[in-house]
Amino acid sequence: MQSRFFKPNPASRRLIGRRTRNLCAAGLSLIAGATAWAAEPPNAEAGRALFLKSTTPACAVCHTLADAGAAGTIGPNLDELKPDANRVTQAVRNGIGVMPAFEALSDADVQALAQYVSGATGAQ
Amino acid sequence: METTPRNPARRRLLAGSASALAAAGLGASGIARASDAPAKPAAAAPAAKPAAASTAKPLPPYAAWKDADSVIVHSANTIETRRSAFGDGIITPSRQLYVRNNLPPPDAAILDDRDGWKVEIQGVKQPRTLTVGDLKTLGVESIATVLQCSGNGRGFFPHKPSGTPWEVGAAGCVMWTGVPVRTLVEYLGGLDGTPAFMTGTGGEVLPEGLDPKSLLVERSVPREAMQDAMLAWEMNGEPLSLAHGGPLRLIVPGYTGVNNVKYIKRLAFTAEQSPAKIQQTGYRLTPMDAKPSPDQPSVWAMEPKSWINAPGANGQAVKAGRVVVRGVAFGGMHAVKRVDVSIDGGKTWKQAALIGPDLGKYAWRQFALPVELTAGQHMLVSRVEDTQGNVQVENRFENAPGYINSSWRDHGLAINVS
Repeated sequence: MQSRFFKPNPASRRLIGRRTRNLCAAGLSLIAGATAWAAEPPNAEAGRALFLKSTTPACAVCHTLADAGAAGTIGPNLDELKPDANRVTQAVRNGIGVMPAFEALSDADVQALAQYVSGATGAQ
Repeated sequence: METTPRNPARRRLLAGSASALAAAGLGASGIARASDAPAKPAAAAPAAKPAAASTAKPLPPYAAWKDADSVIVHSANTIETRRSAFGDGIITPSRQLYVRNNLPPPDAAILDDRDGWKVEIQGVKQPRTLTVGDLKTLGVESIATVLQCSGNGRGFFPHKPSGTPWEVGAAGCVMWTGVPVRTLVEYLGGLDGTPAFMTGTGGEVLPEGLDPKSLLVERSVPREAMQDAMLAWEMNGEPLSLAHGGPLRLIVPGYTGVNNVKYIKRLAFTAEQSPAKIQQTGYRLTPMDAKPSPDQPSVWAMEPKSWINAPGANGQAVKAGRVVVRGVAFGGMHAVKRVDVSIDGGKTWKQAALIGPDLGKYAWRQFALPVELTAGQHMLVSRVEDTQGNVQVENRFENAPGYINSSWRDHGLAINVS
């Protein structure tokens, strides 16, 4: 009999899976460089959600990114800039120019965002 | 003769916090990196006009009047002067001058009534709002300054910082005309107390619903900078363009571009630095692997810096024999005393002549040195010393965002002589 404490929860499993995968990716990056992860399909759905609404201000307010349907014109057009994952990570973590640092984002979120943006623009 | 350099990077570092010093890791890795050749030697580019026109981005509408052949369009708000486009006159022609806007420029309609543009002056005994027309009745001066983006030379940082990978061309020497800030302050009764900072606020339109502090272009500089600062309405003898901050721009001579606030709508003398992100955590000399923080040195004053623009920039052909090596040199906060040139990557040096008129300590000097070049590869480098004995640094000051690269080694021009 299945314990009610261990009822499978698809949503939380997905979340845990994503977090674990991203943490693994971070580890791989440290050991073997970002290319080790590049072969894996990025978690586009989570990255897109972060891009559209989970940051303050949202990335989409300032940036254009066709994959996300974003048409912000304050910052660089990401479809043209095609930043690689490292560049996105640095910009989100530390800010650059007038772009503020997004200090509230977790490592996993930054990783997901970097993979999503670099993947969506074909920079990866 | 080799003088003992007073190393500005070191001085700045010592002035910063102890934690910044510890985290900067200026140890063996910094020195090892610094000995690398420039990231992209010009000689590696194909002959004739590099950066194929087919892949070049178009000039954005607000800067459509720029000379497309003289610039590299990195993005709509970052446009760099080609190294080979720098001429031997002192003033950089407006059509060739770089552009860096932190935010998209306001609507061009703000130029319809230039004299009607308003700027609020605060922190003086008689604070008030003045129009450009009012300012023109107070006084007028002209000053030549080096305008240089804080990130000029970022492209030579090996860790590939985020931000535009400028090489040498986010800089120019520009003639500004406007009213000196000290004249304005005197007119308004003098400063109210002894505020530590002069703070300029840009008039860009911000997206609605955001905390203005997150995107507002508002920069504070030490109050002393007001002595030579200006509110300018003219650049290179023409009404100030939208691309360069018209109708009115704060000019802070000796300070990097971002401190020269465009579309200025407020000039305040303040006890504290601006709370805007661009001041608190933006434009800081953040150590490698550290997070940006207000206790790190702000990107303010420029340092002694020079580089060579000819011959052979952007892959232009150079024939063996006599050539004149030419470039630009500036001291940042002090006048240029001398420039030395090496055609063997810094092993041996010869003093170059400073050519053209001296336009003051904030302008750059052109320099020239006739040399005999043999066929083969040469690394041309230059090194400037200012009147205070500060010598251009050999190695860049490593910092995460890639600001203030003044390294003579990084700015070497690799040429292939045939």
